[in-house]
Amino acid sequence: MSKESENKNQDSNIEKNQNEDEHGPSASNEDVTFDYPPIKYEYLDHTADIQIHSWGDSIEESFEQAAMGMFAYMTDTDLIENRDMKQIDIRADGDLQNLLFKFLCEWLEVYGTEDYFIPRKIEINLFDRNELRIIARGYGELFDLSRHTQGTEVKAITYSNMQIHEETSTHDVYVIVDI
Amino acid sequence: MPRTYDEELKFIERINNHSWRIKKGFVPNMNVEGVFYVNSHLEKLMFEELENATKFGGIGGFLPGMKQIANVAALPGIVGRSVGLPDVHSGYGFAIGNMAAFDYNDPKAIVSPGGVGFDINCGVRLLRTNLTEKDVQPMKEQLAQSMFDHIPVGVGSKGVIPMNAKDLEEALEMGMDWSIREGYSWAEDKEHCEEYGRMLQADPTKVSQRAKKRGLPQLGTLGAGNHYAEIQIVDEIYDRFAAGKMGIDFKGQVCVMIHCGSRGLGHQVATDALVAMEKAMKRDQIQTNDRQLACALIHSEEGQDYLKGMCAAANYAWVNRSSMTFLARQAFARCFNTTPDDLDMHLIYDVSHNIAKIEEHMMSDGKQKTLLVHRKGATRAFPPHHPLIPVDYQLTGQPVLIGGTMGTCSYVLTGTEQGMKETFGSTCHGAGRALSRAKSRRNLNWYEVLDDLREKGIAIRVASPKLVQEEAPDSYKNVTDVVETCHAAGISKLCVKLRPVAVIKG
Repeated sequence: MSKESENKNQDSNIEKNQNEDEHGPSASNEDVTFDYPPIKYEYLDHTADIQIHSWGDSIEESFEQAAMGMFAYMTDTDLIENRDMKQIDIRADGDLQNLLFKFLCEWLEVYGTEDYFIPRKIEINLFDRNELRIIARGYGELFDLSRHTQGTEVKAITYSNMQIHEETSTHDVYVIVDI
Repeated sequence: MPRTYDEELKFIERINNHSWRIKKGFVPNMNVEGVFYVNSHLEKLMFEELENATKFGGIGGFLPGMKQIANVAALPGIVGRSVGLPDVHSGYGFAIGNMAAFDYNDPKAIVSPGGVGFDINCGVRLLRTNLTEKDVQPMKEQLAQSMFDHIPVGVGSKGVIPMNAKDLEEALEMGMDWSIREGYSWAEDKEHCEEYGRMLQADPTKVSQRAKKRGLPQLGTLGAGNHYAEIQIVDEIYDRFAAGKMGIDFKGQVCVMIHCGSRGLGHQVATDALVAMEKAMKRDQIQTNDRQLACALIHSEEGQDYLKGMCAAANYAWVNRSSMTFLARQAFARCFNTTPDDLDMHLIYDVSHNIAKIEEHMMSDGKQKTLLVHRKGATRAFPPHHPLIPVDYQLTGQPVLIGGTMGTCSYVLTGTEQGMKETFGSTCHGAGRALSRAKSRRNLNWYEVLDDLREKGIAIRVASPKLVQEEAPDSYKNVTDVVETCHAAGISKLCVKLRPVAVIKG
C-alpha cells in the first residue's frame, strides 16, 4: 500500500462531531464509516490476574481480539475515537506462543511509551508463521482523563498457561495478563 | 495420566497446626521439599484450589498454589525449602506469597524474574503523625480529597514530579539518595527503609530504553490494581515496647500507609529479562516444570544483567514511594495548615515484598551461606540484633508492614529468630486473593461495595469505581487470619493493628 493511501485509510473514519481545524484535511473523510469488529473475547477466572480468552475465524483474528481484549480492560474502548494510527512490526524466536507474547507485549509497550496510546481496533496486515513476523496497525487515540474511563492497568503479559488451539474451528487463544 | 485428588493428597503431610509439607514427587525433579503455612480457614482454600485443578483437565485453568510451590522446589540450586506463606495464592511461575533461596556460590544456581514478580520492589511504607482520630474524623473527606488531588492515581495518570531523562538515570542509580538530594525526602527517611533506599548493585545501563520511556512519565504515580494510599488509625497495640520504638504511643494515633511499586519501568525490566532468559535457558540447558519459571544461572551474563536492572528498578520504586510520601506530607500540611515537621510525619519503615536480595544466612548444619533470596509477595522479617536493620529497631526486630485490602485492617509485625531459621527471615505480605477477579465482578456489586465502605465510616476516592469490587475485602483472604497464622507459627510477631478511615485508589 502506498504511503498516501495508507494515510487516507488511517484518518478516514473521524467521527462526525470532531473539529475540522484540529484534524485538518482528514476531516473531509468524515462520511466514511469505520466498522469496529465484533467482540470475540472474554475474561476468565484467575485468582490474581486476568485470563483473556479470545477466538476468531482465523488465528490472526484471535490474536487481534486478544490485544483488543487487553485494552478493553484498561478503559472503556467504546469511548476511544479513531484519531491516530500506530503500526508495529515484530519478529519472534521460537514458536507461535512466543509470537503471541511478543505481539501483546509490543502493544502494551506502544501504550506505555507513546503517551498512553490506546487502539480501539487492531488489524493484522501481515502474519508470517514461518518467519514468526507480524505487521499490525492499531487505530485509536491518546488516553485522555477528561474523556475516558479508568479501568485497571495491565502490567505485563505472561506465558503462564498460555494456550493456542489452532485445531478448533474458533482458534481459541488463552493468555494471562498480570494486573 | 494425571493423578486424582486423592493420589495428590498422599504427597501433602501435616507438620503441625500451622504448616504442611509438600513431599518430593508431587511434581517432577523436586530438589527440596515444599512447605506452606496456614490456619484452618486458609487451609480449606488451599485444598479447594488443588481439588478444582485436578477436576479441570487441560483447556483454560491455572496451576494451584501448591503445585507452584513444588515447581519452584524443582529449580536448580534451591536450598532449604520452597516456602508458601499464609497469604499464598496462585500466581505465574512462582506462587504469590512464595519465598525461595538459592546458593549464590553454586555455579548451577539460578535467578528467576518470576520469583520477583513484574512489579519489582512493590512494597509498603508507613508514616506516623502526632494527630489523633478526633483530629481527622471531621476532616477525613477533605483529607481524602486532598490526598487524591495530590497523588496521581489509576490508568493513564502522569506524575507531577518534574523529571527528565538525565534525572531518571540518576534516580535509577541513587534511589532515595536522589529523593533526598532533590528535597523530596527527609534525610532520616532512608534510615528506616530496607537497604537504606538504595541498591548499590544497580546499573541503569542494564535497563532498556523502552523501560525508561515507560517509567519517565509515571514517577510519583500510585498506579492501579491493589495499590493504595490510606489514612489509618491505630486500633490495637499488642507489643507496647516495639510500638514505642516506632513512635506509635497510643490507640487512636493517625498513620499513613502507601502501597505501590516500580510502575511500567519495573514491568518492562521483568518482561525484557524473561525474553533474554528464554534463550539462555536453551543454551545452558536449564529444565523447569513451567514455562513462566524462566530463569538464568546467577553468574551468567543474563543473570547478572537482570540483577543489576532489577536493582535499578528497585531504586525507582523507592524514589516513587518517596515522591508520594512528599505529596502525602504536603496534603496533610495543607489540610491542617501547618508543616509536615510539626505533624511529626516520620517514616516508620518501608518494606519490599517483590524482590530478590543477596543475604547471609545460617544453614541448618550451622554453616553460613551467601544466598540469593527471592521474595515474591513475601516480606523480609529480620530478627532483633540483625546487622542489616536500623539502630532504632535493633532490640525489637525489623518492622514488617502488612497492608490489608481496601477497607480492612492492616498490621505491623516484627521479625523473629524463629522466622530467620524457618523461612530465611520472611513472612507474609498482605491478605492474598481468595476470589478471582472475574468471580468478584460477578458476585459483588460495585456500588454496594462503596456503600459498605461508607457505612463503616471510611472515606474513599477511587479512579475506577466500577472495578472496586475486584479489590473488595470479600475478594481476599482474611488478613487477620493471615497475620495470626504468622504469629502463631512464630515466623513473625504481632505488634500493631491499624484500621483505615480514608482510602485513595487507582
